[in-house]
Amino acid sequence: MRALLVEDSDELVALLKKGLAQGGFSADAVRTAADAAHALATMRYAAIVLDRGLPDDDGLNLLRDMRRRGDSTPVLVLTARDGVSDRVTGLREGADDYMAKPFAMEELLARLQALLRRSDNLLGRRLTFGNVALDAEGRQVIIGGAVRAFPARETAVLEILLRRSGNVAPKRLFEDHLFGLSGDVGSNAVEVYVHRLRKMLADSGATVKIHTVRGVGYLMAEEKTG
Amino acid sequence: MTRFRSILSRVVALHVVAIGVISVAMPLALYWLLNEAANSLHRDALHSQAVTISGFLKPLASGVVLDIPPELEPLYAGSYGLYAYAVLDSAGHVLFSSRNDGSALFPPKESGNGEWVVRRRGTGSVLFGLSVSRTVDGRTYVIQVAQDLSHRDVIIDDIVASFLPSVAWITFPLLLALLLIDILIFRRALKPVREASTTAATIGPTNTEVRLPEKAMPTEIVPLVQAVNQALDRLEKGFRAQREFTGDMAHELRTPLTVIRARVDSLESGPLRDSLRKDLENMTHIVNQVLDIAELETFIVAGDARADLQAVCAEAVAFMAPLAVGQSKTIALGGSEKPVWVHGHAEALFRAVRNLIENAIRHAPTGGSIEVEVSADGTVRVLDDGLGVPEAERESIFRRFWRRDRTKAESRGLGLAIVARVAESHDGSVTVENRPGGGAAFTLRLRPAAA
Repeated sequence: MRALLVEDSDELVALLKKGLAQGGFSADAVRTAADAAHALATMRYAAIVLDRGLPDDDGLNLLRDMRRRGDSTPVLVLTARDGVSDRVTGLREGADDYMAKPFAMEELLARLQALLRRSDNLLGRRLTFGNVALDAEGRQVIIGGAVRAFPARETAVLEILLRRSGNVAPKRLFEDHLFGLSGDVGSNAVEVYVHRLRKMLADSGATVKIHTVRGVGYLMAEEKTG
Repeated sequence: MTRFRSILSRVVALHVVAIGVISVAMPLALYWLLNEAANSLHRDALHSQAVTISGFLKPLASGVVLDIPPELEPLYAGSYGLYAYAVLDSAGHVLFSSRNDGSALFPPKESGNGEWVVRRRGTGSVLFGLSVSRTVDGRTYVIQVAQDLSHRDVIIDDIVASFLPSVAWITFPLLLALLLIDILIFRRALKPVREASTTAATIGPTNTEVRLPEKAMPTEIVPLVQAVNQALDRLEKGFRAQREFTGDMAHELRTPLTVIRARVDSLESGPLRDSLRKDLENMTHIVNQVLDIAELETFIVAGDARADLQAVCAEAVAFMAPLAVGQSKTIALGGSEKPVWVHGHAEALFRAVRNLIENAIRHAPTGGSIEVEVSADGTVRVLDDGLGVPEAERESIFRRFWRRDRTKAESRGLGLAIVARVAESHDGSVTVENRPGGGAAFTLRLRPAAA
């Protein structure tokens, strides 16, 4: 899969290229916004990793131009300037995700893959976390290699948790997904399904656990071993 | 001049004083002028009377005879007549007189010609007269004519008397109209100034590019406007320099950290990589806090900025939940479930709440819990079940790089300093107390805003 890496630090480019290669991306690297615009005009990329602090321009300007042209390639914006006053602007300008430097390589790859999944890519078919996997198309739950039969709503809850794995999934997200816009949601309906799923996961020997963050949502985390 | 601060009120006040002075002085001046005119009319009338009388002097062999036509006699008839006359010869002897006693009207003064004199009689009334000398048949005679002012021509006095009140009545409204016109003129002239004030009111640290318009401004005020605009230029430059510096500093510090991080990530897994990662995370944490505090130092919340504190807290709790869960601690959000609008900058408030939660996570025991509570009055309480904060430290913990134990290397003194700075920049406060059941309760108070 081809990705465009727009970053002016040579050292970082070399390291990122190596990391991206391990994640299955072959990355073209350019150092300036002008070169990036040129590369985008000639080549179609699956994703773009864009640094904001480019020598010739703010990376956000490049992003704005792309979106204005109707280019919807997923963009992961990197920034060293994660100030109070400029943190949110990146996402408003049309960035799909936003990462502050320094970041862990694993997280960069995970976020890129999440972006591709969201943009309806092939990678979206299988979600995994710990020893739990979900074939999103076939609605199959696989725990520790064994296929499990989970009811539809519990599977839907699991999918949401897997898509946000490591982060809190807001309660509202479950309500919207499970009951759509029409349903009159009982105040503890989500809780009931989460409770059932929690039990099923435990019974199936999953290494992940669903934590309740009361007042906010649910968080799936890997259980600590030992 | 504290009472009349506005130009308009000064103009009006001065105008009222001027109107007062003018409405007194103008009738007086007019009265004087009219009197002068009336007096000169009298003088002319007396003069022509004297000339008329001199026309009645007929020469005789031994002197003159005064031959007044009978129809004119009543004019000079004693105390009822309008005029009195006397004819004197050059030696000052009275030849003819309208008076019963035949005396002169007033003593001849060097037989002055055409001079008029005013004399008081015993009754106190004023006699107004003049004398004219005439030569008849080679001899000079002095004709004195006088009029008692109590018998003066009434028409003229009537004019004077009736003219004044009407003048006064017209003067006053005219002056008032002038005042109103002046107010309108001044309001019009000061309109650009008022507009500039409205523009100036929008200038703030978050909106420094606004300048006051110079075009429509009265020339007297242009230097002031220019000076203000120049001051704004300098101010904007200062703000920009400060922002650029923190931005550049962030770039300079974070880029090498990113390179190191990527290098460490590319190492083979093992205890060395893990400990390097941990060190790097600590380092990154401190760098981020230093950058936050540097930015917040000059951070000013826009006057109309509003944030939903409930949403900010939900985001902060969600953001910190993985850390809490990773340390086997539970975290929950309580209190209001509806938006709580406060005066503030959402991202700055997020950082404040995040730092409070981070502090609570650090101090809660394993298996402990952190509770964040939002109230509709614009306060957030972050509760932990740790050891609490001793009374003596409840102020110092909000200081930068403060640490309880100076012998321990791990200083995390910036988190609460960030909270304190955010509270300060929002015109709010942050305090800490111990919970009755143990643990600390941090309270961040903000100013509620209309929904």
